[in-house]
Amino acid sequence: MRKALARLDLFTKVCAGWLSMVVLLAIVGPYLPFSDPRESDIEAMGVGMFSKGHLFGTDSNGYDLLSNVITGTRLSILIAVVSVGVGGLIGSAIGILSAYRRGKFDYVVSLIFNILLSIPNLVLGLALVAILATSADPNEPVSSNRRVFVILISLTIVIIPILGRIARGATLTWTNREFVTAARSMGMRDREIIMKHIVPNVLPSIYAVGFLAVGVVIVAEGSLSLLGVGITDGISWGSMIARVAGEFTYAPHSMYVPVTALALTVIACNQVGDFLRSQLDKREGKI
Amino acid sequence: MTSLLSIRDLHVSFDTPRGLLQAVRGVDLDIPAGTSVGIVGESGSGKTVLSRAAMGLLQGKNVQRTGTVVFDGKELTSLPPDEVRNEFGTGMAMIFQDPMTALNPVRRIGSQISEGLRVRLGLSRADAMKRSAELLALVRIPDPQGMLRKFPNQLSGGMRQRVMIAIAIACNPKLLFADEPTTALDVTVQAQILELLSELRAELGMSMVLVTHDLGVVANHTDIVTVMYAGLVVEQAPTRRLFANMKMPYTEALMKSIPRLDQPSGGRMPMIAGRLPDPTAPEPGCPFAPRCPYVVDKCRSSVPPLVTDGDGHSYRCWLPLGGGI
Repeated sequence: MRKALARLDLFTKVCAGWLSMVVLLAIVGPYLPFSDPRESDIEAMGVGMFSKGHLFGTDSNGYDLLSNVITGTRLSILIAVVSVGVGGLIGSAIGILSAYRRGKFDYVVSLIFNILLSIPNLVLGLALVAILATSADPNEPVSSNRRVFVILISLTIVIIPILGRIARGATLTWTNREFVTAARSMGMRDREIIMKHIVPNVLPSIYAVGFLAVGVVIVAEGSLSLLGVGITDGISWGSMIARVAGEFTYAPHSMYVPVTALALTVIACNQVGDFLRSQLDKREGKI
Repeated sequence: MTSLLSIRDLHVSFDTPRGLLQAVRGVDLDIPAGTSVGIVGESGSGKTVLSRAAMGLLQGKNVQRTGTVVFDGKELTSLPPDEVRNEFGTGMAMIFQDPMTALNPVRRIGSQISEGLRVRLGLSRADAMKRSAELLALVRIPDPQGMLRKFPNQLSGGMRQRVMIAIAIACNPKLLFADEPTTALDVTVQAQILELLSELRAELGMSMVLVTHDLGVVANHTDIVTVMYAGLVVEQAPTRRLFANMKMPYTEALMKSIPRLDQPSGGRMPMIAGRLPDPTAPEPGCPFAPRCPYVVDKCRSSVPPLVTDGDGHSYRCWLPLGGGI
């Protein structure tokens, strides 16, 4: 473990540090002694950064940006982690099974994956949210919890083919290795071969792409909010961006704060994902 | 003598885009208990497919297998897959050609050896580990306890092949298929591995099928030799008899193509002219006819039958060397 840490270059260390901080804030953020993100400070509306009592300033409605961005971490990270986690689990299970079984099942699975992948993921998310989270009665808006839930499901569906295809491809190469035949020649059942021989080999590539997918989901959530179908009354980075988008000319810093948090997190995810992938390539090289 | 493994009229073909590829075309083979049988032939002669088909390891929709395989009194070809699997490990086991790919790179040696012991023999984790260390000692690996903790990429090719052998003999199989066990290794290690296999066979009382392209390997480590060509058995005899008295021109050609030290260096390597026939479109007649130096018209029109003389020497030739029966 210590050796693995020593191999990290400075940039990766900073990125890993940033991600750990973001995850920590997502967990404990609301319990920290910051001002109430929903409470407007009418004395200081739209004040700039580093003003008294508001480190990152406020937006033009007087909401404190620091406490908003920290509170928003929770929902953004929750959506990213849950949809990548659940989508990754379902996607890799389908991908591994279909590559191991081959035949018609594999054909149908690849077809569905390819169709889903051919639709830009934002359009797919938008369509799913529009179907699942609209209420027939315009006077009775969809509840916030339902919206979050629907966004989770939509983004999960976006993730399934991305990670599923990676798992399928990796499984195809590993299934042809002789150790799988060797395991069969020792009388192992398919289930045991998949769990003990295929999954441990496929997992690293899923981790690597999973981190990249977290970045994709964070951006997608932000974009959905900006398009007006995201989280409306909860606080996430995306909803912050959406709320302040109209007042960019009056209080541009209110946009910079959530956008910077989002961008840094995506960059950190990509860097950590790339690092994992490079470690994987090195290990592959040794075989 | 009773046969441990008896193969009758085994055909294996693969459905390929170019047509039906006939890899094995009606092979009869008997492995008497306690013997070592060599299967020799050049690349593409069907020897690997034969050994894998005998165990039923060929999978896929494009594989067609007919014929019967009887192992230890059970007809494997008509049993459901679950019951065939019961014979794996304890009845039959296989050593693979390339020890670089036949071990799982992300799992420790100990867990890979104990896997078979736990699945097939139902040993506990601790017992299986203990037995794994004994097996590693049996295949002459120094410091077996330390080896259990290592990953395959920390081992040399010869060591990996020893580990493969340990995995294969873990459940005391009655019959060990060794599919070109030394092809990926350098010559000095080859000798050690073959020596080890012969010793283990004597210690554990296993039968062995040694698949190889190397007649020298066969001469020292087998009791019976089967020569394959284009999916057919073309000659079969007890090892000593075969080397003393070859009947089939193909066997003779194989023998002549072994480089010799007493020939002047710098000359052309002896080789068999021509190539294996196209396995998707076998022509009538003896498959070796286009490359045979003694070919006559009859060879091109009909396949010679496999005939057996009084000394248990079978061959498939119209004009056997040294005269027929």
